[in-house]
Amino acid sequence: MENNIVIKVSDLEKIYDETAVPVHALRGVDLEIRRGEFTAIVGPSGSGKTTLLNIIGGLDRPTAGKVEVDGNDIANLSDNQLIDFRKKHIGFVFQSYNLIPVLTAKENVEFVMLLQKRSKAERDSRTRELMEAVGLADRMQNRPSELSGGQQQRVAVARALAPKPAFILADEPTANLDSKSTANLLDMMARLNKEENITFVFSTHDQRVIDRARRVVTLEDGKVLSDHSRE
Amino acid sequence: MLPIVAWRNIWRSRTRSLVVIGSIVIGVWALVFLLGFFRGQVNNYINNIIENETSHIQFHDSLFTEDYDVRLFIAQSENILSELQERPEIGSATSRVIVNGMLSSSNAAQGVMVKGVHPDQEQMTTGLYDKIIEGTPFDSTRRNQIIISQRIAEKLKVKIRSKVVVTFQNTDGDISAAAFRVVGIYKTHNRMNDELYVFTHIDDMRRLTLLPDDAAHEIALVVNEFDSTDVFASRLSAEYAPILVQTYKQISPDLELFNSQIRVNMIIMTTIFMLALIFGIINTMLMAVLERMKELGMLMAIGMNKLRVFFMVVYETLFVSLLGAPIGMGLGYLTLKYLHYRGIDLSAWSRALEEFGMADLVRPVLDSESYVMIATAIVITAVLASIYPALRAIRLKPVEALRKI
Ligand SMILES: Nc1ncnc2c1ncn2[C@@H]1O[C@H](COP(=O)(O)OP(=O)(O)OP(=O)(O)O)[C@@H](O)[C@H]1O
Ligand SMILES: [Mg+2]
Repeated sequence: MENNIVIKVSDLEKIYDETAVPVHALRGVDLEIRRGEFTAIVGPSGSGKTTLLNIIGGLDRPTAGKVEVDGNDIANLSDNQLIDFRKKHIGFVFQSYNLIPVLTAKENVEFVMLLQKRSKAERDSRTRELMEAVGLADRMQNRPSELSGGQQQRVAVARALAPKPAFILADEPTANLDSKSTANLLDMMARLNKEENITFVFSTHDQRVIDRARRVVTLEDGKVLSDHSRE
Repeated sequence: MLPIVAWRNIWRSRTRSLVVIGSIVIGVWALVFLLGFFRGQVNNYINNIIENETSHIQFHDSLFTEDYDVRLFIAQSENILSELQERPEIGSATSRVIVNGMLSSSNAAQGVMVKGVHPDQEQMTTGLYDKIIEGTPFDSTRRNQIIISQRIAEKLKVKIRSKVVVTFQNTDGDISAAAFRVVGIYKTHNRMNDELYVFTHIDDMRRLTLLPDDAAHEIALVVNEFDSTDVFASRLSAEYAPILVQTYKQISPDLELFNSQIRVNMIIMTTIFMLALIFGIINTMLMAVLERMKELGMLMAIGMNKLRVFFMVVYETLFVSLLGAPIGMGLGYLTLKYLHYRGIDLSAWSRALEEFGMADLVRPVLDSESYVMIATAIVITAVLASIYPALRAIRLKPVEALRKI
């Protein structure tokens, strides 16, 4: 069935033309991601990884091509519709600045559910469940500044998962982490992927991260160079 | 949730927020003080005129005040006066004979307005004797005594017990003159009045101007309920027609003008103050927004819509701006209370103040209306100041905000 496909992009072109010299960042990318995949987008710096993830995530618009996310064509959504769409369908984990510094870990995880006006009981049980899933049930009341970088990224994953998105998009989630925290975060993501069937799409430069991926899509110069799956 | 986040955001740059809050406290406090001082001075001026000059209500012949013609008197004024004194609304009342004349000594002469008064009633109504700085009250056993101001005494080079001559027109239209002995020298806070008014016994003036025994040119009243002056005056006016009955506002229209002028000045001062404030707040909040671009980009990326981002910044601005306002107003209120009770002594400037007819002691005071005006102005300022930073915040595009280091 088609609905196993959560992301489908075809003939994706992106030209940044606000600069003096237009940059052709994506030149015809075709990609399908299925539910439950654990995919790394890799490639040299400037190859278009961030650009691709931003377009899939509805943060940026393609110059040409089609983007279907969770069965919806998102090309024609207005800015506000996009914000709503992201809130419902996509979980984001960024390299940094993922959390609201003035909120505790628990409140950060709850935040999107609050925006969605979920009941307190639902928020509480979901938050606890997620904080346990990322192994930080004992750090609920700490603010981000009181957590290590790796712990912050794990809270960010919990935060991203809270509204039960179709998939998690993570642009270099481990770039600021040491190798131990990187391994921890990857362990946790892999476990969530295996046990909860959560779809992850992440970009990385890090060979150790690439080694953990079950599917590796390599970009070069705005095109898909290779696409390997392994079990 | 948004208010909570906004509230906590304020305390991220604790020092910066405290500086803003502190300057608002000081600014509002200073504004309250200034307006209270203003208002106190105006009240001082108005009260001085009422207490020393106009009282609350005056009776005249309807044409008398046009050129102070001696013949335009109120007949049977003593009857009217005793009727008035019976009325419970009236605190005190007195009648006067008023004659324009020339006061001369062997050294100099000066145009004056002679007020022939009932000494005891005049004392109760305008406190004539309280202003005497040298000499004595009238001695009821003697005729032709006069009380003059210090300024006139200096000008005519006369002292207590000196003789002066008053020249005036009597009711027959003849010029006549009479000698008076100076028994008292007075001084008020109003230079112009001091140079104009001299006081004698009403009976002396009646006799000298050939007026009937119960004639007077003016009846002045002090009412018990200041706020009901207007209503009461119009009742008296109906009862005593065709005698002209006027309130202090009608007698001195400049008081009302002054009053409304001050009101305008207070609004202008408040506006200037708020303009200064608005830029300070905008500047601070813009800083707070710009240094949080990444975070705001992230919030928009994860699904916080523009309206919410907008209101988060608005809340933050309102919190920062409005936190200091009540403290400033409270401090201002207490300061005014204290200074009202103590009074501010301006005797160092008393010569200048006399030109304007103001007393040395100012009691600052501010009506609740003005507090409401200040509070409203601050709220408007805060709301206006919040708009620009909030618009800047929602103008961010999440990708761009996140890409910036
Ligand atoms: N806003 C922009 N304006 C102009 N050019 C841009 C913009 N964003 C990205 N680019 C260019 O597009 C190309 C792809 O950039 P992108 O950030 O997608 O690469 P990347 O694979 O994520 O690189 P990295 O590994 O360094 O993060 C690069 O040449 C980059 O310079
Ligand atoms: Mg990148």
